Amino acid sequence: MLRASAVCEAAGVPSSTLVCEGFLPQATAVSMGLGLPNIPVAMVPGHTNVQSKDELRANVLRVTLDQVISNLTSTPAVAGERGEPEPQSIVFKGGYSEVNRFFYEQSWSDGLPIVPPTRARIDEFLRQVDLDPDHSIATLLPEQRAATIWSIAVNGVMAGCRPEYMPILVALVEALADPAYGVEHSGNSPGSDTLIILNGPITRDLGFNYTQGVLRDGFMPNTSIGRFWRLFLRNVAGFLLHKNDKGTFGNTWRVVMPENEDVLASIGWPTVGVDMGNPAGSNSVTIARYTGGNLLVSVSGDVYKDMLPYLADAVVRIISWQLMFCVGQGMGKLRPLVLLPPILAETMARAGVTKEKFKQYLFDHARLPASQFSRILRDWTQKPTWDLALEVKNGRIPEFFHESDDPDRLVPMVWRPEDYMVAVTGDPLRNNAYVFAHNGLRGYPVSALIRHYKGADTAAAAK
Amino acid sequence: MSAQESDGYYEVYWPRAPRQGKLKPLARRHETLAGKKIALLWDYLFRGDEVFDAIKEEFTKRFPEVTFVDWKEFGNTHGTDERKIVASLPERFKEMGVTAAISGMGC
Repeated sequence: MLRASAVCEAAGVPSSTLVCEGFLPQATAVSMGLGLPNIPVAMVPGHTNVQSKDELRANVLRVTLDQVISNLTSTPAVAGERGEPEPQSIVFKGGYSEVNRFFYEQSWSDGLPIVPPTRARIDEFLRQVDLDPDHSIATLLPEQRAATIWSIAVNGVMAGCRPEYMPILVALVEALADPAYGVEHSGNSPGSDTLIILNGPITRDLGFNYTQGVLRDGFMPNTSIGRFWRLFLRNVAGFLLHKNDKGTFGNTWRVVMPENEDVLASIGWPTVGVDMGNPAGSNSVTIARYTGGNLLVSVSGDVYKDMLPYLADAVVRIISWQLMFCVGQGMGKLRPLVLLPPILAETMARAGVTKEKFKQYLFDHARLPASQFSRILRDWTQKPTWDLALEVKNGRIPEFFHESDDPDRLVPMVWRPEDYMVAVTGDPLRNNAYVFAHNGLRGYPVSALIRHYKGADTAAAAK
Repeated sequence: MSAQESDGYYEVYWPRAPRQGKLKPLARRHETLAGKKIALLWDYLFRGDEVFDAIKEEFTKRFPEVTFVDWKEFGNTHGTDERKIVASLPERFKEMGVTAAISGMGC
């Protein structure tokens, strides 16, 4: 909304942005990032979605209306810009506890102790990549700060990463800057967090956990790089709770999840990295935001009669309002992720199920009655403009969403079989699975090659 | 704190990065909204259609000859085509003679 208003202002057209009461601090923070700290907003009291029609109308007429008029007819006072330190400047000198207290007070840390980012430590990180420290990968919304190699190194040090992880950190920021991912949405109210999927020999070289407990903290590379991600979002992109990060509940950052490529190779299934278009055997990161997930315990029995139906049913059960990224806010942008442990992937492969066939199965069988699909989108999340029949008629969604008027007809959760993502990881010998619900175009899967990694020998030397 | 528990001494660096955007001026405001053509921009969320209806009704009473360009003319400003739709606004405003905009819903 504010981004649209900023374009209006730049075009010489005065704007008023409608903002619900609880989102005013976020509006202030976003406005600063847009370079328009005084862009005017009009408050809608409370939240629109819990008010009756009459209450909403009364609130708009009582409060919002006059603010809209004022926004369009009175020039707001010009707000000043707060001074900031010079890039690459020392901001504090002192002991470990004092450094940590200072960083916390400045909102530069996540509440856990940080490793003090000293020049010597930062330089160790910078030596891992042949890039100028001032080189900026991108300017990141919402605060429009430069994602410099230097800033990556500083936050990597703080997170407790080892210097040899630096090429991965650079690749992560390259992925973050991919417009298809949509970094600007990282503070939206579903509070989704990013899952980083790692592929390639670097997984073994640097000692990542890719087996039992893969989503749990406890292994330095998995954990510290996950923490780096959140620190970088905080310090460089500019997502802070009670400001730009409006996650209703939020999540703690997720640790890095590598795939078990030994198993994938043995059963002939491609990795997620290859699915994302990277060369086989390359080192890559793939990122996407997920609203949450659920474990599917003891996937057992016959592959076709029991396992596949159980998995398809789990996909249906985990996806609710996220259907808005299939039809609605996002068109064909829903990419659910299924995690299979090696023992399940191997069992399915022995029964002739390729990864491609598994995705096709989910597309064909993870389906909802059309009436339920519409009910979630139209009635439960109050989006009255959405209608499957109309969308098909207007050619905006595939015809299989409205092949008849039968409300009990089954419709898929995604547009294409390949929209399903499947990763093989976790405990090699336990038959549980996991399904992640995806946050659609606000954290769409993107991938980046880890181009600056110099190989196992260099990593070993650094250790 | 004992010597063995020394807190050390560190000179530490700023973890943020410089802002690239500079402060920009706002568009000039109108003296009155009478006769103005107002674009309604919507993200298709949070009952913006109802909010716009209430605003339109009251504006029409208060400001003679004020007109509106409906949100349907522009499409979803926060959907799959957000970038394209938002970038096209200046050109579309010129074509339509839009002189003010109301954008919702930040909720």
